Order: sequence, then C-alpha cells, then structure tokens
Amino acid sequence: MSMNEKRDPKRQTLEQEIETAIDEETAGLDPSEAGKIREKVRARVLEEVERERRIRTAKERREEERRRREEKRRERLHEEGEMFERFNRNFRFQHIVMFTSVIILIVTGMPIKFPEYVLSRYVVNLWGGIHNTTLVHRTGAVMLIYFMVHHLLYTVLSRRGRRDLVLLIPTPKDARDAVQNVRHFLGKTEEKPRFGRFSYIEKFDYWAVYWGCVIMIGSGLFLWFEGIVLKYFPKYILDVALEMHSDEALLATLAIVVWHFYNVHFNPDRFPGTLMWWHGRISEHEMKEEHPLEYEEIMAKREKQEGAEGPSR
Amino acid sequence: MRGKFLAAGIFIALGVVAQGFWTPADAKISLEKCTLCHGKPEFRKILVDGKIRDLFATDDSLKGSVHEKKTCVDCHFDVSEIPHRQRPKRVTCTHCHFKGNAEGAPQSDAYLEYFRSVHGKAIAGGNTKAPLCQDCHGSHAIFKVKDPGSDVSRLSVAETCGRCHIKIYAQYKTSIHGVAVSRGITEAPACTGCHGEHKIYDHKDPKSSVYATHVAEQCSTCHASVLIMSKFGIEAEQVATYQNSFHGVASGFGSRTVANCASCHGIHDIRPPEDPLSMVNPRNVPTTCGKCHPGANPNFALGKMHVDSHDKESGIIYYTALFFKYLTIGTMLALIAHIFLDMYGRTRRLRGE
Repeated sequence: MSMNEKRDPKRQTLEQEIETAIDEETAGLDPSEAGKIREKVRARVLEEVERERRIRTAKERREEERRRREEKRRERLHEEGEMFERFNRNFRFQHIVMFTSVIILIVTGMPIKFPEYVLSRYVVNLWGGIHNTTLVHRTGAVMLIYFMVHHLLYTVLSRRGRRDLVLLIPTPKDARDAVQNVRHFLGKTEEKPRFGRFSYIEKFDYWAVYWGCVIMIGSGLFLWFEGIVLKYFPKYILDVALEMHSDEALLATLAIVVWHFYNVHFNPDRFPGTLMWWHGRISEHEMKEEHPLEYEEIMAKREKQEGAEGPSR
Repeated sequence: MRGKFLAAGIFIALGVVAQGFWTPADAKISLEKCTLCHGKPEFRKILVDGKIRDLFATDDSLKGSVHEKKTCVDCHFDVSEIPHRQRPKRVTCTHCHFKGNAEGAPQSDAYLEYFRSVHGKAIAGGNTKAPLCQDCHGSHAIFKVKDPGSDVSRLSVAETCGRCHIKIYAQYKTSIHGVAVSRGITEAPACTGCHGEHKIYDHKDPKSSVYATHVAEQCSTCHASVLIMSKFGIEAEQVATYQNSFHGVASGFGSRTVANCASCHGIHDIRPPEDPLSMVNPRNVPTTCGKCHPGANPNFALGKMHVDSHDKESGIIYYTALFFKYLTIGTMLALIAHIFLDMYGRTRRLRGE
C-alpha cells in the first residue's frame, strides 16, 4: 500500500472523507467492532483506488480485464469444476459446415416441396426466381457432399475419429439405457441411466444424419444429373429418386426441428442452449451428470498416468 | 297569265328544293336505290391484280341474319348519295355496337377489348390484312354464335381463323381436338376455346391465355374437370400430376423455359399417344424430351410421365412413398413420445412427487 508514500493533499481529503463516513455509520456500535469495520473498509477502498489508478493506459486496462476473467474462471471452477474438451476443432468445424449446408438446403428445398404457400413464393423471390433457387440448393448440396467426404476421412484417418465411430455403434446397453430412462421419466426408478461418451439419444442423432445424408445425397445426385442417370437407368428410377428425396427431406427436417432442437435448446436443463458446438468444452459438473462413465474412464486414465510418473506430487 | 305560271313554277321548284331541308337524311336511301345496281346478277369489280370483288347484294342478303330488319345504309352509313362516287369505307361495327347504344345492338366490353388484342393492335399499326369484326363474323350473313350457320360458331370458327392462319388450321384439323370438333363434339376446343375470342394476345405476351406459364391453367379448364373428362374416358389427374412434378412447380414459380403441356403434347398438333405421329407416342418421346434434355434416349420413355405417388398403379413409386410415410409417422411418434415422457418426468420431480 502506497498510502505512506504519498501524502499529497488530495489523498488526505479522500482519507478524511472516508473516515467521516465510517464514523457516521459505526456511531452506534462498540469501539472494537467499529474499529474492525473501519480497518476493513479502509483497506477495501484504498485497494479500489489503487486499482483504478493503475488502469491508465489501454494496456493496463486489458491486463485488468484479463485478471478479472481469470477470477471469474476460478470462481466458476469452484462451482462447476474443470473444463474438458469434448469436441475437438476438426469435429466442430464439420458440425458447422453440416448445419450451414443443411439450413441452406432446407430453406431452398421446402418451397419446391410446398409451392402453394406464400412463404414459399417469398423465399423463391428472395433468391431471384426458381432457377436461382435451384442453384443455391445445389451449392448447399456441394457443401454437404464435402462434409460427408471430410467426415468419412475423419472417421478413418483421425485417432479421435476412429474412437468416436466405434463408440457410436449401438450396443445392447443403449436399449437397456432407453428402457431405464423411460422408467425414470415415469418415476418407476430414481436413478438416471449412466451414459458413456455418447448416450443412445446422441447415437440416434448421429445415425439418423448418416442415413439422411446417404439418401439425400444419393437421390439428389440422381436428380441433378438426370441425363447421365437416364443413359443407364429407365425413367421411373428418377421418379423413385424424387419420391425418396422429397419424403426423406421432410423426415430429416422434422427430426432436426423437433428432436434435435428439443435436446439442445428446449430441454429445460439446457435452455436456451450452449456454445458447446463452438468452443467444444464441457464442465466437470455436466460430465458427471450426462456422461459419468466417460468421466470415470478419463479419471482412471489420469490416475494410471500419474501413477506411472511416480509419486512426485 | 304568263306571270302566274312563272310564279307557280318558281314556287314548285323552291318546294322541291326546300323538301331536302326537312326530310331526315338516314331514311333517305332506300333498299331499292341500292339494288338498282347491286341487285344485278354478276355485279362485280375486277381488280388490277386479277382478283374479283363480288358486289352482288339484294334484300335477301340480310334475310335470316341478325340484321334482318336493317337496310344497306344502316351500316354503310357513309353512303350519302346514289350513285356513290367513292368506294364506301369498311363498315365500323362500333357505330352501333357500343355500351349504351340506342339501336338495341348487343352491348359488351368485348368490342373494346378487341382493340387491345393482337388483332386490334395490328389494325392500329396499319396492317390491312388484320381482321375487323366482319372478317370473322361475316358481313351480311351474321348469325348468333349459337347458330350453327354462324362463321364463329364452335364448329365453324376454326375454319374462319384458318382463312388467315392456314398452316395452323391444317395442323389443327387432323389433331385430336380438331377431329373431335369436326365430329360435332361440343366440349372439344376450337381456336377460341384456348386463345379467347376478342382478347387474343400474342403467346409471348404475359396477358395471353397461352403464355408459357398460363398453359397449364388453360388446359386444366377441361382436362382437370372430371365431369368433362369422364365423357371421353380421359384421366382428370393429368394437370394435378403435372403441377406436382418439378416441371409444374417451376412453371408455377414463373419459369418460362421449363416444359408445360404444349412443350410435350404439341400446340396445334396434339394427338393421342397411340397415334404414331403424336409427340407423346413412346417411340417419339426421346425426340420430344430431347428438345430440352440433350442426349435423350429410349430410357426416357420407360416410365409414366404423369406420376401419381398415391396411385397403386405407380408400382415402386407408390411403395417408396408408402414406406417413407410410415417411417416418418413412426419415427416422429417415437421421438415426440420420448420428449413428452422427459418433460412429464421433469414436471413430476419439480412438483416433488
């Protein structure tokens, strides 16, 4: 504290003001209490003054911001615990490309499926006519095809990708979890099912998108390159492709808007949603709630590592 | 004595002259005055280029027509003296046929619309070959449209239009609509059924009833009517199935390059698919589709064109649609049930049950 260093007149008046204020407030208390309060308040006020005086340049202001953020983080750590990286950057990039392309495809595709509605005409006019709308739709299609290729390579070439793919395969445990979950909803059991890295809900979401992409991209390419298709197949194959494309589009859109949106936005635990798809981090607290088995595995692995390093801690 | 004769003579002469001032003009020239020359058989003019202009007209010319009670100058009102030195101008029917006329002539906005039509604009542009009222309705032998003797009756109008639109009439005559009309089938369309009567616009004009994006609507007036189509054993689903297809959807959104009814079925040469000359005969389908889709081959003809996924006859398409219908319903029921149970469970726990 530099209070003994500079005894300039401004500081003296400030100190006097503080003293007067404290005296007024502690008038009714006994002297020792008053004294304690006075000391605490003086220390606090002077600390604040010091801090404000430190923030004079932009650099200092930034330092201050950083310090404040660290404090907040430490506070949250105290509440939520450690942050784990649930989704790595590659995975998050894929998800962003996927949902962007899917939104483009839905917005440009639905007017073609339901042309009688005013909203459809509005969207088509937005893009400047039906021809432009089909061009935007195909742009979205190319993005989705890129995503599919990227993801396939990810699940083959990346370690995390391979591990995730294996973990996503449905197992009998998922059926048991589903039954237990329903019983839990109905109040027949107090215990929530304990999920690993991917719950049966997330596995369903993954494979539903897989199925959807295969069907939509497959039938979509048939419709896009109808000339080439007709060189080898009879025309009614294109009619089947159109039917599949149109019907699966509706199913996929409904599944996303109802199911996926409930799970990540309207679920009361998560409303209005998280930025987990952006930063990829999950808190220890949430891990223990939602993916306890994965948490235990990670802790067990850590202990083994620390054990191998020797009792240096 | 001689003075009295002179006075009487002048008086009479004045009387004869003065008579012209109080006698109404249009009652003047009677039929007999015209038929003096025009009633002579073989009364005609031979023009410079060898064409013959027939000028024979008697009081029988108007008999049986809608103008039976009129005389020559009621329409040829620019003839004021006999003989008329100049050729009378072409009759303008709107002299009587306008809204609010006192002659008792039929009143309709049709006449004004005509002058906005492609024919009317051609006349305004100075095209002397463009038709006026009398070129289609006839000049003396004008009958009511419902009268089969009229030039513009349903069964005769095609021939009337064909006087100028020769090639089109030739195509139309052997087309399925033309054959039906010549057989006396009144539901079949002649030219006016698709193009309109007085409001005919160029097919490239957006106001035209046969503008690219209006074609489906026009054909649907008969081809979507179960009442009409059932008389001829034709499906009434054709327009709806077209409108559900990509071509129909794009056309509905205003695309003019995408196929409409006429693109595949032909315009004036529409024939049933069994006809070997028909554009939609399976053997000709690749050529028809090939107008827009390069590289069209016989595969294009393998499958119905008007696809109805709700019809069992559509085979694999029907079953695909059925599969997805149940997949969608089943999946959504399961997911919504799960969500409902989740929320129910939460609410229970919240209420402390």
